[in-house]
Amino acid sequence: MLASASIEAGSTSGKKQRTGSPNQAQIKWRTGAQERIYNRRLIEALRAARGAARPGAHAVKEAADSALALTARGQSRWSRAILTSRLRRRKLLVKAVGRIRRRRRSPVPSKRDPAAMKVGRVVPGCRSLPAPTLLEEAADYVAALEMQVKAMRALADALSSARIASPESEAAES
Amino acid sequence: MSSRRSRSRQQTSSASRITEDQINDLVSKLQTLLPEAHIRSGDRVSAARVLQETCNYIRNLHREVDDLSERLSELLSTTDMSSAQAAIIRSLLM
Repeated sequence: MLASASIEAGSTSGKKQRTGSPNQAQIKWRTGAQERIYNRRLIEALRAARGAARPGAHAVKEAADSALALTARGQSRWSRAILTSRLRRRKLLVKAVGRIRRRRRSPVPSKRDPAAMKVGRVVPGCRSLPAPTLLEEAADYVAALEMQVKAMRALADALSSARIASPESEAAES
Repeated sequence: MSSRRSRSRQQTSSASRITEDQINDLVSKLQTLLPEAHIRSGDRVSAARVLQETCNYIRNLHREVDDLSERLSELLSTTDMSSAQAAIIRSLLM
Protein backbone atom coordinates (compact mmCIF):
# COMPACT_ATOMS: atom_id res chain seq x y z
CA MET A 1 0.00 0.00 0.00
CA LEU A 2 2.65 2.45 0.99
CA ALA A 3 4.82 1.67 -2.00
CA SER A 4 2.12 2.59 -4.46
CA ALA A 5 1.21 5.69 -2.51
CA SER A 6 4.69 7.12 -2.66
CA ILE A 7 4.56 7.14 -6.42
CA GLU A 8 1.25 8.97 -6.26
CA ALA A 9 2.58 11.60 -3.91
CA GLY A 10 4.43 13.42 -6.64
CA SER A 11 1.51 13.63 -9.00
CA THR A 12 -1.18 14.86 -6.64
CA SER A 13 0.35 18.31 -6.54
CA GLY A 14 -1.55 19.08 -9.72
CA LYS A 15 -4.85 19.14 -7.81
CA LYS A 16 -6.35 22.39 -6.69
CA GLN A 17 -5.56 22.63 -3.00
CA ARG A 18 -8.44 23.67 -0.82
CA THR A 19 -7.86 24.74 2.72
CA GLY A 20 -5.73 21.92 4.08
CA SER A 21 -6.82 19.09 1.85
CA PRO A 22 -5.73 15.66 3.04
CA ASN A 23 -3.67 15.17 -0.08
CA GLN A 24 -1.31 17.64 1.45
CA ALA A 25 -0.93 15.26 4.35
CA GLN A 26 0.09 12.47 2.04
CA ILE A 27 2.63 14.59 0.24
CA LYS A 28 4.12 15.87 3.43
CA TRP A 29 4.54 12.64 5.31
CA ARG A 30 5.45 10.31 2.52
CA THR A 31 8.58 12.09 1.42
CA GLY A 32 11.82 10.52 2.54
CA ALA A 33 12.83 13.82 4.13
CA GLN A 34 10.24 13.61 6.89
CA GLU A 35 11.24 10.07 7.66
CA ARG A 36 14.89 11.00 7.93
CA ILE A 37 14.05 13.85 10.29
CA TYR A 38 11.91 11.51 12.30
CA ASN A 39 14.68 8.92 12.54
CA ARG A 40 16.99 11.52 13.95
CA ARG A 41 14.44 12.74 16.47
CA LEU A 42 13.62 9.19 17.45
CA ILE A 43 17.24 8.35 18.17
CA GLU A 44 17.62 11.52 20.21
CA ALA A 45 14.50 10.75 22.19
CA LEU A 46 15.53 7.14 22.76
CA ARG A 47 18.91 8.30 23.92
CA ALA A 48 17.31 10.71 26.36
CA ALA A 49 14.98 8.00 27.58
CA ARG A 50 17.82 5.63 28.36
CA GLY A 51 18.79 7.33 31.57
CA ALA A 52 19.51 4.80 34.25
CA ALA A 53 17.43 1.83 33.24
CA ARG A 54 16.88 0.38 29.82
CA PRO A 55 13.90 1.93 28.07
CA GLY A 56 10.81 -0.20 28.54
CA ALA A 57 8.18 -0.46 25.85
CA HIS A 58 6.25 2.42 27.35
CA ALA A 59 9.30 4.70 27.33
CA VAL A 60 10.01 3.78 23.74
CA LYS A 61 6.45 4.60 22.75
CA GLU A 62 6.64 7.96 24.48
CA ALA A 63 9.91 8.68 22.72
CA ALA A 64 8.41 7.65 19.39
CA ASP A 65 5.36 9.90 19.89
CA SER A 66 7.37 12.89 21.05
CA ALA A 67 9.67 12.48 18.09
CA LEU A 68 6.65 12.35 15.80
CA ALA A 69 5.17 15.51 17.29
CA LEU A 70 8.51 17.28 16.92
CA THR A 71 8.81 16.20 13.32
CA ALA A 72 5.39 17.73 12.74
CA ARG A 73 6.84 20.96 14.14
CA GLY A 74 3.70 21.70 16.05
CA GLN A 75 1.88 22.60 12.87
CA SER A 76 -1.10 20.48 13.70
CA ARG A 77 -3.33 20.28 16.72
CA TRP A 78 -2.52 16.67 17.42
CA SER A 79 1.21 17.35 17.48
CA ARG A 80 0.78 20.32 19.78
CA ALA A 81 -1.39 18.19 22.04
CA ILE A 82 1.34 15.56 22.31
CA LEU A 83 4.04 18.13 23.01
CA THR A 84 1.89 19.93 25.56
CA SER A 85 1.09 16.79 27.47
CA ARG A 86 4.80 15.93 27.68
CA LEU A 87 5.65 19.34 29.05
CA ARG A 88 2.85 19.19 31.54
CA ARG A 89 4.19 15.93 32.78
CA ARG A 90 7.60 17.46 33.32
CA LYS A 91 5.99 20.53 34.92
CA LEU A 92 7.84 22.96 32.74
CA LEU A 93 6.43 26.37 31.96
CA VAL A 94 2.83 25.25 31.89
CA LYS A 95 1.55 28.81 31.73
CA ALA A 96 3.68 29.77 28.77
CA VAL A 97 2.61 26.67 26.89
CA GLY A 98 -1.02 27.47 27.60
CA ARG A 99 -0.66 30.72 25.74
CA ILE A 100 0.17 29.01 22.48
CA ARG A 101 -2.49 30.21 20.16
CA ARG A 102 -5.51 28.06 20.44
CA ARG A 103 -7.47 29.30 17.54
CA ARG A 104 -11.00 28.08 17.96
CA ARG A 105 -12.93 29.35 15.05
CA SER A 106 -16.29 28.91 16.62
CA PRO A 107 -16.90 28.49 20.33
CA VAL A 108 -19.68 26.09 19.50
CA PRO A 109 -18.65 23.56 16.84
CA SER A 110 -21.20 24.12 14.17
CA LYS A 111 -21.17 20.76 12.54
CA ARG A 112 -20.73 17.94 14.98
CA ASP A 113 -21.82 14.43 14.37
CA PRO A 114 -21.34 11.31 16.45
CA ALA A 115 -19.32 9.50 13.80
CA ALA A 116 -16.83 12.34 13.66
CA MET A 117 -16.57 12.35 17.42
CA LYS A 118 -15.43 8.75 17.30
CA VAL A 119 -12.47 9.92 15.28
CA GLY A 120 -11.95 12.83 17.64
CA ARG A 121 -11.37 10.40 20.46
CA VAL A 122 -8.46 8.63 18.80
CA VAL A 123 -6.64 11.70 17.53
CA PRO A 124 -4.79 13.49 20.33
CA GLY A 125 -6.14 16.88 21.28
CA CYS A 126 -9.05 16.74 18.90
CA ARG A 127 -11.94 15.68 21.03
CA SER A 128 -14.19 18.64 20.53
CA LEU A 129 -13.45 20.07 17.15
CA PRO A 130 -15.81 20.97 14.35
CA ALA A 131 -16.00 18.29 11.72
CA PRO A 132 -13.92 19.88 8.92
CA THR A 133 -11.00 20.69 11.21
CA LEU A 134 -11.24 17.27 12.74
CA LEU A 135 -11.11 15.61 9.34
CA GLU A 136 -8.05 17.58 8.37
CA GLU A 137 -6.32 16.69 11.62
CA ALA A 138 -7.27 13.04 11.20
CA ALA A 139 -5.87 12.91 7.69
CA ASP A 140 -2.59 14.43 8.79
CA TYR A 141 -2.45 12.14 11.80
CA VAL A 142 -3.08 9.01 9.73
CA ALA A 143 -0.31 9.92 7.31
CA ALA A 144 2.04 10.70 10.20
CA LEU A 145 1.27 7.44 11.97
CA GLU A 146 1.95 5.47 8.81
CA MET A 147 5.33 7.14 8.58
CA GLN A 148 6.00 6.43 12.24
CA VAL A 149 5.23 2.74 11.80
CA LYS A 150 7.38 2.56 8.70
CA ALA A 151 10.32 4.28 10.42
CA MET A 152 10.09 2.25 13.62
CA ARG A 153 9.89 -0.97 11.66
CA ALA A 154 12.95 0.04 9.63
CA LEU A 155 14.83 0.82 12.81
CA ALA A 156 13.83 -2.45 14.43
CA ASP A 157 14.84 -4.39 11.32
CA ALA A 158 18.15 -2.56 11.13
CA LEU A 159 18.84 -3.28 14.79
CA SER A 160 17.92 -6.94 14.39
CA SER A 161 20.28 -7.39 11.52
CA ALA A 162 23.00 -5.47 13.34
CA ARG A 163 22.46 -7.74 16.27
CA ILE A 164 22.80 -10.86 14.18
CA ALA A 165 25.99 -9.47 12.74
CA SER A 166 27.60 -8.85 16.12
CA PRO A 167 27.00 -11.80 18.40
CA GLU A 168 28.90 -10.34 21.37
CA SER A 169 25.92 -8.16 22.17
CA GLU A 170 23.97 -11.17 23.39
CA ALA A 171 26.25 -11.39 26.38
CA ALA A 172 24.30 -8.48 27.88
CA GLU A 173 21.12 -10.53 27.98
CA SER A 174 20.50 -12.46 31.00
CA MET B 1 -19.74 31.24 0.27
CA SER B 2 -22.91 32.69 1.70
CA SER B 3 -25.71 33.58 -0.63
CA ARG B 4 -27.41 35.73 1.96
CA ARG B 5 -25.83 39.12 2.33
CA SER B 6 -27.20 39.70 5.78
CA ARG B 7 -25.09 41.69 8.15
CA SER B 8 -26.42 39.91 11.17
CA ARG B 9 -24.18 38.93 14.08
CA GLN B 10 -24.67 35.24 13.37
CA GLN B 11 -22.86 35.47 10.06
CA THR B 12 -19.29 35.67 11.31
CA SER B 13 -17.40 34.84 8.16
CA SER B 14 -17.85 32.72 5.10
CA ALA B 15 -15.38 30.27 6.57
CA SER B 16 -17.81 29.37 9.31
CA ARG B 17 -20.49 28.42 6.77
CA ILE B 18 -19.51 24.82 6.53
CA THR B 19 -21.24 23.21 3.59
CA GLU B 20 -22.15 19.60 3.05
CA ASP B 21 -19.94 19.63 -0.01
CA GLN B 22 -16.89 20.69 1.93
CA ILE B 23 -17.40 17.91 4.42
CA ASN B 24 -18.00 15.35 1.71
CA ASP B 25 -14.92 16.52 -0.06
CA LEU B 26 -12.78 16.13 3.04
CA VAL B 27 -14.31 12.74 3.75
CA SER B 28 -13.58 11.44 0.28
CA LYS B 29 -10.02 12.66 0.53
CA LEU B 30 -9.68 10.94 3.88
CA GLN B 31 -10.94 7.84 2.16
CA THR B 32 -7.95 7.89 -0.16
CA LEU B 33 -5.65 7.57 2.84
CA LEU B 34 -7.30 4.42 4.08
CA PRO B 35 -5.98 1.04 3.05
CA GLU B 36 -7.60 -0.24 -0.11
CA ALA B 37 -8.57 -3.54 1.46
CA HIS B 38 -11.18 -1.92 3.65
CA ILE B 39 -12.77 0.46 1.24
CA ARG B 40 -12.84 0.18 -2.50
CA SER B 41 -11.95 3.69 -3.53
CA GLY B 42 -14.10 3.35 -6.62
CA ASP B 43 -17.29 2.98 -4.62
CA ARG B 44 -19.11 5.83 -3.07
CA VAL B 45 -19.21 4.82 0.56
CA SER B 46 -21.02 6.72 3.26
CA ALA B 47 -19.20 9.31 5.30
CA ALA B 48 -20.04 7.40 8.44
CA ARG B 49 -18.34 4.32 7.03
CA VAL B 50 -15.21 6.27 6.15
CA LEU B 51 -15.08 7.75 9.64
CA GLN B 52 -15.53 4.36 11.23
CA GLU B 53 -12.80 2.90 9.06
CA THR B 54 -10.58 5.83 9.93
CA CYS B 55 -11.09 5.14 13.63
CA ASN B 56 -10.27 1.49 13.14
CA TYR B 57 -7.25 2.29 11.05
CA ILE B 58 -5.88 4.74 13.61
CA ARG B 59 -6.38 2.19 16.35
CA ASN B 60 -4.58 -0.44 14.29
CA LEU B 61 -1.71 1.93 13.70
CA HIS B 62 -1.52 2.63 17.43
CA ARG B 63 -1.34 -1.07 18.06
CA GLU B 64 1.44 -1.45 15.52
CA VAL B 65 3.34 1.34 17.24
CA ASP B 66 2.88 -0.43 20.57
CA ASP B 67 4.16 -3.71 19.14
CA LEU B 68 7.12 -2.00 17.54
CA SER B 69 7.85 -0.23 20.82
CA GLU B 70 8.00 -3.59 22.55
CA ARG B 71 10.27 -4.94 19.90
CA LEU B 72 12.53 -1.89 19.97
CA SER B 73 12.71 -1.96 23.74
CA GLU B 74 13.96 -5.54 23.63
CA LEU B 75 16.42 -4.80 20.87
CA LEU B 76 17.75 -1.72 22.63
CA SER B 77 18.35 -3.55 25.86
CA THR B 78 20.88 -5.74 24.15
CA THR B 79 22.40 -3.26 21.76
CA ASP B 80 24.21 -0.13 22.74
CA MET B 81 23.31 3.17 21.18
CA SER B 82 26.34 3.57 18.95
CA SER B 83 25.58 0.47 16.97
CA ALA B 84 21.97 1.62 16.80
CA GLN B 85 23.18 4.81 15.20
CA ALA B 86 25.33 2.91 12.76
CA ALA B 87 22.29 0.78 11.90
CA ILE B 88 20.23 3.90 11.27
CA ILE B 89 22.80 5.42 9.01
CA ARG B 90 23.04 2.19 7.11
CA SER B 91 19.28 1.91 6.68
CA LEU B 92 19.01 5.53 5.60
CA LEU B 93 21.61 5.10 2.94
CA MET B 94 20.01 1.99 1.50
